[in-house]
Order: sequence, then C-alpha cells, then structure tokens
Amino acid sequence: MSTRWYPIYQRGNPQLRVFLPNFWMKVIRPKEEQPPNIVTFSVSMEMTKYDVRNYLEKIYKLPVIDVRTRIALGETKRDQTYGYVTKKDDVKIAYVTLPRDQSFIFPEMFAEKAEKQAQEEKSLDESKAGFRKFLDRNKKRPGTPGWFSI
Amino acid sequence: MSSTLLKCLNLAKSVRTATLKSFLTAPKPQWQVWSSAAALQTPHAQMHTSPPRLDLMEFFDDKKHWSENEVKVGRAWRTEELRIKSNKELHQLWFILLKERNMLLTMEHECNEQMEIFPSPERIDKVKISMKNLETVVRERNKAYHLLETGETGERPQRPVQNAFGIQVNYKSCEHVLPPFMNLKWIKSRNIGFGGRAVNRFLLKYREQLYNAKRKAKNRSRNEVMMILRRNPNFDLEVLRRKFPDVNIDKLRNDDKTRGHFVPKVDS
Repeated sequence: MSTRWYPIYQRGNPQLRVFLPNFWMKVIRPKEEQPPNIVTFSVSMEMTKYDVRNYLEKIYKLPVIDVRTRIALGETKRDQTYGYVTKKDDVKIAYVTLPRDQSFIFPEMFAEKAEKQAQEEKSLDESKAGFRKFLDRNKKRPGTPGWFSI
Repeated sequence: MSSTLLKCLNLAKSVRTATLKSFLTAPKPQWQVWSSAAALQTPHAQMHTSPPRLDLMEFFDDKKHWSENEVKVGRAWRTEELRIKSNKELHQLWFILLKERNMLLTMEHECNEQMEIFPSPERIDKVKISMKNLETVVRERNKAYHLLETGETGERPQRPVQNAFGIQVNYKSCEHVLPPFMNLKWIKSRNIGFGGRAVNRFLLKYREQLYNAKRKAKNRSRNEVMMILRRNPNFDLEVLRRKFPDVNIDKLRNDDKTRGHFVPKVDS
C-alpha cells in the first residue's frame, strides 16, 4: 500500500496523508525523576518529533507543549562461556511535555496483587482441607459418595 | 515524513464517540444477541458505548484487569467480516485497534519491568491479526480501484535485478531525489563487475550449497517412500504418487530395498 513506504519529502501543500498509520507508542516508567507534566514514551524508531506530536494530538487528543526525542542504545552483553557480544535493539524514547497545570504519575499496577494472591491461596487451602476431611471420613467405607452420610 | 503525518485524522475524532467495546471484539453469534429480551425490542440495544477517556490512562488497561491472572477477550477480526464493512468503518476500527495495541504494549512493557506475568498475552496477537486482515481488505479495495481507474494494480513496482554477486534479486522501486542520469553516485555504484575470481569462487560454493540442499531433499523423499513400501507392501500407490510427485515409484517397487524381510508369495 502506498502509505506503507515513505515517499520523499516535497515542499508545499497538500502534504502526504497517512490513512492507516502503523506507528506504536507506549508509556514507560521514567528512569530518572521527571517534572510531573513530562511523560516518557517509547516510540517506533521511524517516528520524528512531529510525528509524536501529531500522533498524540490527533489520535489521543492530548495537549502537547513540547516533544524531545533521543535514541537509547540497546544493552550489550558478553556471553559468559564463549565471549561473544550480543546487543539488544536500540529504542527511541520521547519526552512529551504537557501543559503546566497537568500532571501524570505512572500508576502502580501491582500494589494489590500480593493481597489477591494470598486470598486465592487461602481459598485453595480451604478446599484442600475439605477434601482431606472427606477422605478421612471415608477411610473405613471406601467408594461411598459425599452425600451418603449420617 | 515530518509534519506530514496524520493530517486527515479527523476521523479519529469520531472514533472516540464510536462504540469502543463493540468494535474491539468481533460480533457475537446470533444466539447471544437474542438472549436478552431488550435486544428483541430495539435492534440497537446491544450497542455498548463507552464515554471517551480523554487522558493518558488510555494507554493503560482497565483498573480491574491490573492484578488479574487472565483477561478473557473475543477472537480476532476475520477478513470476511471486514469485507462487508464500509471504508469509514474500517478506518475507525483501525484507530481502535491501534489504541488497543498501544495499551497492550504499554502493559506488557510494565509487566516485564516489574517482573510480573502479563495476563493473556495472546491479546496482542489477536489485535495484530485483526490489523493485518484489515490491511489486506483495504489493499484489495485499493487494487480494485486502481485497476478500474488506471488499469494498473497501484502496488509498489518491482523488477528483478542482479546484485553485486550477479544473483537475481527482486528490487522494490522507491522514489529518488535525482533522476537516474544525474545520480552519479548510483551510476558509479552500478559499475561493479561480478566476474572476479573471488566472486566466482563464492558463486561456485553458493550454488553447491543450493544443489546439495536440493539433492538431499530428493534423497530424503526417496528413502521415505522406500521405507513406506518396505513396511507396508500393500500401500496405496496413488496416495504415494500424489504425496511424492518427484519420486519414480514404479522404478522403486522393483528395487531390492523396498522388499521386506519375508519370503514373497509366489503364485503357482
């Protein structure tokens, strides 16, 4: 499709229109502490600052004051046994400034997880204990169903 | 590609008001729609509209899914379902899918960061399959329109060219700033001959590799046929011929290796 390969930039209007953009953006937790109105995104490598701005303004309807981007170098790692070097892919990071009165704090998503897990384990233990009780009761009369009781 | 992106995304505005939930999962089967009495009275009662969330929380999943182990979702959109949609609907659906993919990627990234399990990772695949199917449908329409209007498919032009090793490869044309006769750098780059000794040696070995792969594949299928015939003397030959069209089965039947370890019956 014609919008999937990039024609070269031509001056003047009308500009190229993208009908089905396939860029992706994800919000990531900032490595260093940022002011509350700055959001950190990881974006498609092909995206420029203008692309990021247009993407957020047009698709997500977010007010964008400023966009700064950088390309973060992927981690290199030396293999322990054979010593060859492997490298992860580079990623483009975009720092988007929202208006001064807005703030965004990255949500803590797994705060309740431990509590919920403990609850689930508790119910599992209860059912296990119930089954054990049933087995104990039926020790002397094997094969009788659970409802057959005095 | 700078300021050029997304000029025409006014449609995305209508996406917000559109039915977010009903679009994300493919249509329900009939019995599910009929199951509620309200649906019988008003055909649009099943339409579920959610108010737009105009903030960055669109990049995150519903709060109730945050600490779940499994999130149940529908299947991906199929091409035949997308074919009956209008262009506008497809355009809206694309942006819904795009947002959903962004949301899922954000959640996956955060889960990986926090060393947690990302619930139902197949959701990403489903969205990607839907997007791919949608794109094929749009492409079909594009092609049909171009063929009707111009007599050409409107696809990216391709042609076979020889690369630096003299091997034929498919070249996908792209736009250039300069016309070919002015592009001296490109003209010079074309002057690489591929008749050198090193290239010839490389090509020899390369072709040997290709030949070996072909030869081994041939031997493998022949051996397979021989083993089948040895173990099953009454095997249906038509099936074998259909499955292994390259193997000469009539010749193999008389081969010593296809004979099993038993004394053949001799009609007296």
